[in-house]
Amino acid sequence: MMRNECTFGETMIHAIAQTIEDNTLAFHGFGSPLVQLALHVAKKTHAPDLVLVAGATYGINPNPPFLTPTSNDWVMDRNAEASLDIGELFDLAAAGRMDRMFLSGLQIDQWGNCNVTQLGNESLKLKLPGGGGGCNLSCDVGNVTLWTAAHRAPANNKSKRRFRLVSECDFITSLGHRSREGKRPAELGHRGGGPDWVVTDLGVFDFDDEGMMRLKYLYPDTTAEEVLENTEFKPVMPMNIETMSLPDGEVVSIIRNLDPLKIHEKELSPGDLNRTFH
Amino acid sequence: MSKANGQTNGFNSVFSSADKRASLTDLAGHVRDGDLVAIGGGLSSREPMAVLHELIRAGRKNLTVFGSAHGIDIDLLCGAGAVSRSAESYVGFEQDFGMAPNYRRTCEAGDVVVDDTCCYTMVQQLRATIQGVPFMPIRSARGTDFIKLHPEYKTMTCPFTGEELLLVPAIEPDVAIIHAQYGDAHGNLRIEGPPVADILFAKASRKVIATVEKIVSNEELKELGGVSIPYFYVTALSEVAMGAHPTACYPFYAYDRAHTSLYFDAARKDADNFRQNYLEPYVLNVASHDDYLSRIGGDEVLNRLSSWDRNDASWQALYQEPA
Repeated sequence: MMRNECTFGETMIHAIAQTIEDNTLAFHGFGSPLVQLALHVAKKTHAPDLVLVAGATYGINPNPPFLTPTSNDWVMDRNAEASLDIGELFDLAAAGRMDRMFLSGLQIDQWGNCNVTQLGNESLKLKLPGGGGGCNLSCDVGNVTLWTAAHRAPANNKSKRRFRLVSECDFITSLGHRSREGKRPAELGHRGGGPDWVVTDLGVFDFDDEGMMRLKYLYPDTTAEEVLENTEFKPVMPMNIETMSLPDGEVVSIIRNLDPLKIHEKELSPGDLNRTFH
Repeated sequence: MSKANGQTNGFNSVFSSADKRASLTDLAGHVRDGDLVAIGGGLSSREPMAVLHELIRAGRKNLTVFGSAHGIDIDLLCGAGAVSRSAESYVGFEQDFGMAPNYRRTCEAGDVVVDDTCCYTMVQQLRATIQGVPFMPIRSARGTDFIKLHPEYKTMTCPFTGEELLLVPAIEPDVAIIHAQYGDAHGNLRIEGPPVADILFAKASRKVIATVEKIVSNEELKELGGVSIPYFYVTALSEVAMGAHPTACYPFYAYDRAHTSLYFDAARKDADNFRQNYLEPYVLNVASHDDYLSRIGGDEVLNRLSSWDRNDASWQALYQEPA
């Protein structure tokens, strides 16, 4: 396939899509255009038999004419083969039928715990929107892809950084590989395998056997030093860190056709809007 | 949560009257100060906005709101000072406008107690009420900080398998407030598209009040595809066209992004700005729902929002950035 120029946003969608396997059931939440697009890319390319369940509408295998900034919208449910209700959707996960889900946070720690509930652990400093179904799903779903487009944490004018990838979450909204007491999900009796990928604007991580985040791929324009500088904890750094593959022309055109309003760019930091790769 | 002790009162009555039609004001009169309220719809879809405006005009206070993923409905109630506790799973404007300004402000000021829930936990708590049992077990949530936030959750060892399970107590909302596309005079409701948690809310709540775009005959309701919520759950209903504006109520109208943008701009700065530029002109100083419709632009707005089904280009145009 011919290689076109692609944007950073398209590369990140491609990287998320690579975490989705064929013949599985995957569910995207709401407010996550990068993930919504990644699921459609996966289904139209390497995962044609993916059971794609849309967030908020719970439509199965929809074929929306364009991406909207609102998830619970008939646009996003267009041409769905069937629909689930809220109980059935979460029952699927609880009973072990949901293979993959996607979660994010204003804080993500080294174990893949995420916080979308509040900043400040003793007193509330900033109320975040909340986690939707993420708390339950993080425990129940086969595997979880974490993502954030705001890994880069530039220092403010007091040379202080507000990290997105933090040593400890102020509130654990969704569970990663270790609870606050150090328990692994399996010890707690959870059936889910936890997060296995983290896709950020600086690189792509997997997790080692201990459940620690480990740098796996960089982008053509990022370095290991940048990753370390922008991460509050020290991720596992293997000897060989590969470069993430770029989306081919087919993937780029799927994304551009499905997102003419460029909704996914709302998730990106302003500085990442001009990043392109060849 | 105050009323989540597993002790539900049981449902010893059904709503059987032949004609449930009521004015919007009478409908809102079923909600009392301090009630635990389950608001239907979700995010930018089918929020019962006309009823919420009426509740605000009536000065309702100290409501606890309980539900899944919400946006302008909860943010507006918080901004109007009607809420003292929020047990939603999400309140925000997604990637469209981001965090909910009034919700954030009132939570951070301590005016609204943060009692966040998670979708499946909510589903199971409603199911417990619906099934007449004091709790439901779930496997998930242990290991997260929701356990700290909710001391009312208990753990038990399963007598069959020996596994540890989390027990979440039954929740019985005082009132469910639902906006559906269609209903009949008897109170049967028909929801088109994703029902979100509305059907669970209707079955688990002591009272259900509903607005509908159109009241039709029971025969027409069945011709349209059938009843989603049978009449005996429903206390009263009112026909309120555009009753979910600015959220969507397809097939009648799409989401009003321009009005939501106006709302967000008024809300983001501070509480005074919100009061002056949104709450007063669009809620408090409004005489009726018809008055509201004329203030938002009348037929011209309905024509624009109902143009979604002409073709994809027309639909897409509704999401373009406001000029």
